[in-house]
Amino acid sequence: MRTLIRFIQKYSNLLLFILLEIIAIVFIVQSSNFQRSKLVGLNRQVTGYLFSKVDGAREYFSLKEVNQQLAYENVELRNKLGQISELMDSATVVSDVQHSIHYFYVPSRIVHNSISKQLNYITLDKGKKHGVFRDMGVISDQGLVGIVLESSHNFATVIPVINRDFRLSVKIKSNNYAGILQWEGVSPQQAILTEIPFHVNILESDTVLTSGFSSIFPEGIRVGKIESFSLEKGNFYDIKIKLSTDFQSLFHVNVIRNYRQEEQLNLEDRTR
Amino acid sequence: MYIISRNIVRFIVVIIFQVMVMDNVMINGYMVPYVYLLFILLMPFETPRWMQLLSGFALGMGIDLFENTPGMHTAATVLVAFIRPYLLDLLAPRDGYEPETFPRIHYYGFVWFLKYTFIIVVIHHFMLFYLEVFQLKDFFSTLLRVILSSILSASTIVLSQYFVFRK
Repeated sequence: MRTLIRFIQKYSNLLLFILLEIIAIVFIVQSSNFQRSKLVGLNRQVTGYLFSKVDGAREYFSLKEVNQQLAYENVELRNKLGQISELMDSATVVSDVQHSIHYFYVPSRIVHNSISKQLNYITLDKGKKHGVFRDMGVISDQGLVGIVLESSHNFATVIPVINRDFRLSVKIKSNNYAGILQWEGVSPQQAILTEIPFHVNILESDTVLTSGFSSIFPEGIRVGKIESFSLEKGNFYDIKIKLSTDFQSLFHVNVIRNYRQEEQLNLEDRTR
Repeated sequence: MYIISRNIVRFIVVIIFQVMVMDNVMINGYMVPYVYLLFILLMPFETPRWMQLLSGFALGMGIDLFENTPGMHTAATVLVAFIRPYLLDLLAPRDGYEPETFPRIHYYGFVWFLKYTFIIVVIHHFMLFYLEVFQLKDFFSTLLRVILSSILSASTIVLSQYFVFRK
């Protein structure tokens, strides 16, 4: 007993060091639980508030850029409106609004954004109060951004494409072949597309779009362009994609609410 | 008493500065200078070791919570807090550290401080970046990131000594 106490006294600092490191490693290993823990939830309220203050200042400096983006989007929407009104003239329209809404967009602002890490996260200023929940898609006018991970009352965290844990089914526009979009952790502008079989013809600068298989995103949202590809690992291509979203200058995003997601998932569950 | 309150204030300032200012400074797209290590670097020589470890833990926890990373900064910061006393012994001038001085450029000169900072920063970044990747697959590309980021962080810390913590 006495030797044990002496041992502890002698190596108390080393033991404390090991104990603290073990606590930290446990956090890392259980990282998905950590993201969901009460402590982090509470902290998200506080940091969300602080970050929204800092970002108020940052947003001011990039007003010009944002204006430009919005102007572009306006033009694009106006063009689409023109096409739609033409269609409306020539066809009878079902007036049941409740059933015709499929996707609804919640505009929101980014209050915290990281791009320098392997596991990057984005915090938005919209939460449960505004109808933002887990597993909703997030896009910007430039293209795909990510998927909502968790939401609190006023804030939500998003796993962006540039997070090592991100996976999404996407397709190549020219031939409709679907593969899995992932991020390698190298550059915030570049992601990889896997599981495209070797017999498919692909071209550089082909556009990559969301496939719409996941019920999170509608089909056809821009993801990026094929930058280069190679056939190294046996039967599948190794495709590098230049992402169309510039994560560094991102401010305004839209959260997609799919009104038919529940119905689709229920049906798929029953089928299995 | 004065030294303790001063360190508490520094603790808070360093975290806020790191999260609010430095995390928004991204050099070359995705490199962030981690200046919060200043708190560990500037702790007085006589700080008890358990105190150094606990404050390293608290500092890393604080940064982790703000950065949304699970425990990585904590693990790396506790490690450097543990190594720091040994490193200080190693780098000690011939007649030891004088009482009532602090580990600063002002007392021990530029070369000493640069060596001290760089070693601490490299150890910290090494731990941090490899924990972040959590695999040895991209060993060399991660190593390159460790080296480049260490140079960035260390130079920012040394520069800060001339601007902010000037005595």
